[in-house]
Amino acid sequence: MTPVIGGVAHTTERVDLHMRFKKPIVALSAAGLLALAACGGSSSDGGSSSTGGSGVDTKNLGNTGDGKDAKRTGPVSFKGAQTGGTVTVLTNTGLTTPIDPSDLYYTDTNAIMTSLVTRALTQYSYDEATKQMILVPDLATDLGTPNSDFTQWKFTLRDGAKWETGDPVTAKEVAFGINRSMDNKTFPNGPGLYYSNPYFKGGDSYKGPYTDKGKLCSCIKVSGNDITITMSKPFPDFPYYASFPAIGPIPLGKASDPATYRQHPLSTGPYMIKSYTPAKSLVLVRNKYWDPKTDPARTAYPDSYDFKAGQDSAKIDTILLADSGDGQTTLTYDDVQAKDYRKMQATGRLVQGGSPCTYFYSPDYRKTTKEIREALVWGLPYKDLILAAGLIPNVNAIPASELMPPGVPGRKDYNAVPGHGDFATDPVKAKQILTDAGKEGFEIKFLFAADDPVSSQTKDVLVKGLTKAGFKATPVPSTIAKLVEDRDNPKGDINLRSYGWCSDWPSGATWVPPIFQSTDLKTVGFGTNEARSTSPRSTSRSTTSSRSTLLTSRLLGRSSSRRS
Amino acid sequence: MSTSAGDLGTAEATVQHAATAQTVAGRSPTQIAFERLRKDKVAVVCATIVSILVLLALFAPLITNALNIYWDITDPRAPDPSTVLEFDGFPAVGPPLHGFTWDHPLGLAPETGTDNLAWLLYGLRTSLGVATAATILSTIVGIVLGLIAGFSRGWLDRILSFIIDLFLTLPFLLIALAIAPILVSRFRSNVDALAKAQLVSLIVILVVFGWMGLARILRGQVLSLREREFIQSAEVIGVPTRRILFKELLPNLVAPIVVATSLALPGFVAAEAGLSFLGLGLTGVPSLGRMIDAATPYYSDYPLYLWAPVAVVAILVLTLNLLGDSIRDAFDPKTRR
Repeated sequence: MTPVIGGVAHTTERVDLHMRFKKPIVALSAAGLLALAACGGSSSDGGSSSTGGSGVDTKNLGNTGDGKDAKRTGPVSFKGAQTGGTVTVLTNTGLTTPIDPSDLYYTDTNAIMTSLVTRALTQYSYDEATKQMILVPDLATDLGTPNSDFTQWKFTLRDGAKWETGDPVTAKEVAFGINRSMDNKTFPNGPGLYYSNPYFKGGDSYKGPYTDKGKLCSCIKVSGNDITITMSKPFPDFPYYASFPAIGPIPLGKASDPATYRQHPLSTGPYMIKSYTPAKSLVLVRNKYWDPKTDPARTAYPDSYDFKAGQDSAKIDTILLADSGDGQTTLTYDDVQAKDYRKMQATGRLVQGGSPCTYFYSPDYRKTTKEIREALVWGLPYKDLILAAGLIPNVNAIPASELMPPGVPGRKDYNAVPGHGDFATDPVKAKQILTDAGKEGFEIKFLFAADDPVSSQTKDVLVKGLTKAGFKATPVPSTIAKLVEDRDNPKGDINLRSYGWCSDWPSGATWVPPIFQSTDLKTVGFGTNEARSTSPRSTSRSTTSSRSTLLTSRLLGRSSSRRS
Repeated sequence: MSTSAGDLGTAEATVQHAATAQTVAGRSPTQIAFERLRKDKVAVVCATIVSILVLLALFAPLITNALNIYWDITDPRAPDPSTVLEFDGFPAVGPPLHGFTWDHPLGLAPETGTDNLAWLLYGLRTSLGVATAATILSTIVGIVLGLIAGFSRGWLDRILSFIIDLFLTLPFLLIALAIAPILVSRFRSNVDALAKAQLVSLIVILVVFGWMGLARILRGQVLSLREREFIQSAEVIGVPTRRILFKELLPNLVAPIVVATSLALPGFVAAEAGLSFLGLGLTGVPSLGRMIDAATPYYSDYPLYLWAPVAVVAILVLTLNLLGDSIRDAFDPKTRR
């Protein structure tokens, strides 16, 4: 999944009695947003404000949702919570990506839609006992039944789920939704491209109900309330994939015409869309046909949600810190600005949690050698870059020694560069490695956005660090609008790219294949392997990565390195 | 009041009393103007402040070296951000969280740890350099076009007047907004070329939008001067037009040119700071406008960071303006103060 949300969200926690709103609800809503981004997890009040230590669970932050509870049932309630009021959610960059369930794959829109509007076969819920998100049933009665080799999954639709129109949700509509997810020509942004087509039987030739003009995939069978999906290869993680809105119901026929449905996807959850302007606003109001008894995870205490995107980050922090009027029922899932961190801490405004996203520099394997990459690991000025980017070490910039965050099942602690500690910079050692390899003065070319002051100052810091480490640093100017396009151009004259990746669910299968896949550079471009590492093992489905590739995975970059 | 009256008295005295006239006869209008300026307290104070600021800007490299402070993060001698900043980007030495230190008299910039005084000195250099270049160029353009428009009768005058009016109607900010991204995409392959292109384009934008006032004033002056006897007689005896323009007309236009120039300079300083504040100015070099832009979000926590560049811009623009006013008064024989 594409990273949008950082490691820290902050929210107002004070209560305005007129809004009939209790503290735990606001806090939990925030936790829900984070978590349902398949991110989030432990929320905490954080550590001491003077050291910048935090309550982020760095041991287990990638484990979000590893637990399962197939038997959980609704309705859900929170002690002392009262209904009513409007929750205002402010964000700087949100709501720019599609919200059509089949086309929905970005963290912010995914979190908003799955937790409030659209229901799928499964969903995540916060578990008090483990203090983690766990996978629970949603429209399905349980977490599905696989056959012996996980090539067939059977789900049974529960009774009582309704559309916002009052019509019952049928198994046929769920089957149509799954078919629709395989139309990656109509829905190029959706997750179907990565999971539906590659895994479902016949997914390589079936192009979806719109491109294939009404044809349905033979891999999905409906019988009564039962839906059976046949895979072409084992897919044991399918219940996790089934939590995406793409694996949920879509109305049949004209009602779900992609041209109009993307403006107003019909609700099956507690809230429905009142108005939606992409990149600007989303207003959700109650869906009176949603029955809490059918839902094992969702609650609906506030009367409405008012999402406002494109807000100035400084303004968001000011509103939350001022804590008056509507500000008392306002929250944001954006990162706290570094300069406001202490004040937010002092007033108890922050909810902190991990997010299984890794940002990294990706040296071009076609143009660099192992020694150069090793020298980079020692030479990069991690701490200076974090400060210049306005991030806070160990709060929203947590050291990573490999691609997968800690807590991903099966992950083994591994340091590709022995002796290299967290955020450690040693220009002398870097220079030594370069000199030994006869590569002193190797030219590192990287992009920056000339019209973005933050990008310009991180560029300066990087130039200084690289120069100190014996490299020749050449920043290549781009613009905010062009940065991603320039970076993704395989022919671009740069050899160091910066981007990030977030897991879709806690499994190496959502990390290793996308980052190490081999793609046809001429037709597809990098895909998501911008290092262009072509180690033979990385093209297989193996969960162990080759030693050299791990040199890429030291943390770097910031949320502006969003995938497009 | 009394000084000006005395000056005026001398002008009349030259005509009526030949005996006393001998002591003052050699004084040109410019000398008279400077005499008046010397006696104007405001002018003297402002000139002193401007000179100090110019000297600070000129010797910025020496001063920063002597104080061991740096504006450029990439300077190998500058401290690494992580060594002088706290975890949340605030300076670990000096204000706002710690006491005053002579190592960094105006504190450090958050996030990058560059020295504010060094940035101010170099920003002053940029401001004055850009403003001076823009003033000289726009004055040259204004003089040439104003002279030609005023002296040429008929279609050339009409065309030039139309061009002046056209440029006066062009929306300055809108065009500056449009040009900045075009430049970045045009010179994207090379940081140094981009920095040069931005500098040149900033000066060009300021010149393009800065010459019309002077051209209009000069056109009006020339319109009245060219009907005077000395110009008409020069035309009659066949003096070449270029000579009439530059030898006969121009010396009579020194006063309006000096006045317009001295008032344009602070305008350009303010415009440069404003454009840089909006992110349309220079990216590779320090600028007062950029510092103000960076400091605005920090105002509630670190007021000095914002006040320092604001004060420098305010003092520079105010003193240049007051000085310009004094120069205008001194050069204008009709002024009674």
